[in-house]
Parts: sequence; structure tokens; C-alpha cells
Amino acid sequence: MTEARRPIPLTLRSGPPGPSAPRRRTRPAIGLSIGIAGILALVGIRLLAPPEAGEALSDSVQDFITLSASVVIESLPFVFLGILVSTAVQLWMPEGFLERRLPRNPFARRALISLLGVLLPVCECGNVPLARGLIQRGLTVGESMTFLLAAPILNPITIITTYQAFGWDDGILVSRILGGFLIANLVGWVYSRHRDPMSLLTPSFAAACAHADTVSGSKPRRAARMFADETSAMLPALFVGSAIAGLIQVAVSRDLLITLGQNPVLSVFALMLLAFVVGICSNVDAFFVLSFGSTFTPGAIVAFLVFGAMIDVKMLALLRTTFRARVLVQLTVIVALASAAIGLAVNLVA
Amino acid sequence: MALTLIGVVVTVWLGVSGQLGLYIHPRYNVFTIVMAVIGGVVALAALALVPLAPGDEDEDEDDHDHDHDGEAVPDAPPRARPRAARRSPGARAVLGASAALAVIAISAFLLLAFPPATLSAQTAVDRDIDRTTADLAGDAPDLTGADPSTFTVKDWALLTAQETDPSAYADVPVELIGFVAPAPGEPDDVFYLARFTVTCCAVDAQPIGVPVYLPDWQERVAVDDWVRVSGTFGANPSTGEGLALIPETVEVTEQPEQPYVY
Repeated sequence: MTEARRPIPLTLRSGPPGPSAPRRRTRPAIGLSIGIAGILALVGIRLLAPPEAGEALSDSVQDFITLSASVVIESLPFVFLGILVSTAVQLWMPEGFLERRLPRNPFARRALISLLGVLLPVCECGNVPLARGLIQRGLTVGESMTFLLAAPILNPITIITTYQAFGWDDGILVSRILGGFLIANLVGWVYSRHRDPMSLLTPSFAAACAHADTVSGSKPRRAARMFADETSAMLPALFVGSAIAGLIQVAVSRDLLITLGQNPVLSVFALMLLAFVVGICSNVDAFFVLSFGSTFTPGAIVAFLVFGAMIDVKMLALLRTTFRARVLVQLTVIVALASAAIGLAVNLVA
Repeated sequence: MALTLIGVVVTVWLGVSGQLGLYIHPRYNVFTIVMAVIGGVVALAALALVPLAPGDEDEDEDDHDHDHDGEAVPDAPPRARPRAARRSPGARAVLGASAALAVIAISAFLLLAFPPATLSAQTAVDRDIDRTTADLAGDAPDLTGADPSTFTVKDWALLTAQETDPSAYADVPVELIGFVAPAPGEPDDVFYLARFTVTCCAVDAQPIGVPVYLPDWQERVAVDDWVRVSGTFGANPSTGEGLALIPETVEVTEQPEQPYVY
């Protein structure tokens, strides 16, 4: 840690700059001016846009914009929260703090990691930056996957909303909690057996991990750098993923999915497909699927709640910032098969 | 970074102009706006504190290896993926830069240049309005002691879905505002007066509605029009099953401030 420079407070300081470093004072001012100019430019676009711009669009295009924008606006606060928590964890959590407190046995260790969501109840979009931070702090790739898959389901908010929506009906709540726990630990175990876990990561992220220990600078400065890096990685993925989700929503008729709803086998796959396409946050997806309650079998609902919380279009776009495409395909297949198995089992019992 | 600013500006502007409800459920408003403001402040701080190029921790002179004009500076790939970009050939960096710029430009254009809009009746039809209405979860309001003039489209959809006696609400005056959606099978004498109900954000919007009996309605109102209908519920003359709103007056109106119901 070399103290390169005192952090500059966010006020533009007046007065003559020190003779030793005339550029020191101006650089933050330049960055800040660029940012403020950018904001003003964006607000300008918004204010000057003709109010009838939307008239020219066809209904489907209009709906596509509305749907995509709503996914972005709904996810963005969670992503910010995740990035901020992740930055805080990396900068202010003492070295080895997690590693020391977790049990040595890999199974017990992963089981405990899957419960971390209880302490950090961000939904799945916010978990991605957090998991990236945890990998950089020394968690293995398999363990981070366990966290990624379990946290959206095993957190108080999700459990409460699922209970509000379904109560104890048909074992939906219990199946969701157990299913989420089992799948997360299964995936963690599978990837813990990988010979070279670092090869699962995208080259740029692996490089960032290797580089993580050597970052210097004052804490606020490093925090700023991390925030900049994380938003640069996450936001394009979020925007593109949301656009894909919006596009599919406009293109795929829900009629088709819902006509499949009553068959004990087909309904499971239909709702999983819906979960994949809709990409709703796990904190509230229970209310969404509740509106299909009478159409679908309980097993299908469980499959929706388990699979959708872990994998969907937007989530895959976010995960692609960290994991290689091949890994994501494997991950999707494993989680899908396991969710389907759980859903079918619930239907068998019900 | 540019995307951060776009997201922040969009969110805060929607919040200030009270249109956030077009996208998300009001219970998230405060959280969303607070996080957007925090995100914006941190982004500005990052712009101020982070040197414009990597390896600049010790105040080197020249650090403008990449300088677009305008707001895209902080998003240039050497900043975003310094190490990867360093190792890859120049062509890839150019490709990455143009992709990043394209995403930024398109996002800014779609999110900022078009005014916020509600979902259209096309989506209502697509999402199978009569089925979602029939499946509507929740408890119908209790009529006893309630003031029926406060009932929303959703309340009436619930009530009429559960009621088989056509004269149950014969003496309850109803006034509802919603948009016009064609009824399934597109009959000439019935349309749906519809609203979207939102549980979390517009993605999960479910159309709900009540049938309105108005022969040759297409000559008086167009699909997607917002209408104010007053009348009473009675037996549906069109199908002979279930209840329909028998209107006394139907007038085209402005889209309400809050088009969704929750």
C-alpha cells in the first residue's frame, strides 16, 4: 500500500494549486466535469425529446422498449447495491475473515456458504457482483457458484414473499427452500471437482483476480476504481440481457405456454421456460406465479420458483461477465434437470 | 460508466416526474430512487478519483491513450478491461470499443428519447386477458359495508368472476376507467375494459378486465383507447353466460395518471 495521494474531497477547491504538482488538483475536476456534463447532456436529451416520438412506433416496438426498460429499472438498484456491498467486502473485510470462520470440511463449508444469503438479502442480480468480490477474496469457484445459486432462494425476503403467496400449500415453500439448497450444493460439489477451476472464468476476470492483490492506492481511490470496473462489466450485460428478455416477451405468445399448463409433465417444462424468459427477481416471483396458480400444477410452480431464481436470460448475461460460455451451458443444464426432477417429484406426491 | 449515468438519469427523472409507476410497483419507488442517487454520486466520485488510464497511480504525465469526446470516455475498453485489452490485438480493442459505444448509444436513445409508455392492448391480447382474469388470485372485496364506487377494475373482475347470479349487482352503479381490448373471439358486441395489474414491474404485468356489452363497439371506440364507462352489471346478452357491464355512457378519456392497478 503506497500512499500515492490523499483522496481528494468532492468539492472543487479554489485557490492556487501547489507548485509541486500543478496537475494534481485539476485531474479530479476534469473527471467530475465530464460526469456532470454527461448527466446534463442526458437530461437534455430527455427534455428535448419530442413528446410524440412514441407515436411513430408500432405497438410491439413500444412494448419492447417498455418491457426492457422495466427490467433495467427494476434490477439496477439491486445491481448497485450488490456492487457497493461487494466493494465494501473486498476493501474492509479483514484478510482471511471468511476463510477462518468457515468449516474446513468442503461439504459443511458449502452448506454454510449457501446460507450467506440470509445475511445479504440481495436478489440474484445483486449477487453477481458480490460473488465476483468473494472470488477475489479467495473463495473457490465452486463455492461461489453455491452462493450464487442458493442466495436468491435462501434469504429472508424470498422466503417471506413465497410464504405470503402460497402459505404451506402443496409443500411449495418447503420444496423451494430444500430444492434451492440441494441444487446449489450439488453444483458447488460438481465444480469443486474440476481440475483447474480458474479456467472456468473469463480470461479478463481471471486476470483481474490475479491482479487483485497488487492494487495500490488509498482506499477511497481503490473503491472508486472497483466501482468503475464493476459497473463497466455489469451494466452492459444487464442492458443487453434486459433487451433480449424484452424481445422474447414480445415475440413469444404466452397462450402457448399456458395451454400446456395442466399436464403434470409438460406444465413443469412450460413454466420453467416461462421463468427463463421472464427473468423476474426471486424476491417477488412468487406473486407473479401466483397469478397462474389455478392454471398450473404445484410441481410446475416449484420448478418455476427454483429454476427461475437461479437461471434466466438476464442472469446468464450477467454471469457471462465472469464465467465462460461453456460453463454457463453446463450450469443451465444441471440446474434445469434438477429443477425439473424436483417439480416432477412434487407432482407425483401431490 | 456512461450506462451508469444513463440508468441514474432515467430513474431519477422518472421518479421526479412521478412516472416510475409505469415500470415498477410503487413499493419499490423509494428504494429505487435512493439507490439511483447513491449510484450517481459514487459514479461521479469514481470519475473524479480514478485516473483516466490504468497504471497511472503515480501521477504520470500522459494518460490519454484513449479519448472519445463526450461522455463515453470512462467507458473506453482499456479502462473497462485494461488487462484483456492490453493483450489483445488492436482490432479486438476497436471492436470492443464500438460494441460498447453501440450499447451506450442505443440505450440512451431507447431509454431517453422515447417518452414513457404503458403496455398496449396488443400485449393484453397476447397475455390472454380472459384467462388471466379468470385466474386472478386474491380475495374479492366484501360488498357489505363497502363503497362500490371505490372498487377498481380489478375488484370488479374478481367480483364478477365469482358471481353467477346475474341480478346480484343490478342496483350498484359502476363507473370504471380502462383501455379497450378486444374480447376473445373478437365479437362485435362485447369488448374488454382492461387494466394491467403489476406485482413487481411491468414485465409481469397481467391484463385483467371486465366484459362490456356494447353492440358494434368498434364504431364508437378503438382498441387501446382509454374509456370511462358507467352502467351496471347484468347478464351478458352476448354469450348468455356470466356478467357483463351494461353501459349507460361510454366516453373516450385521457390515460389516467396511474394506468396500472396493484
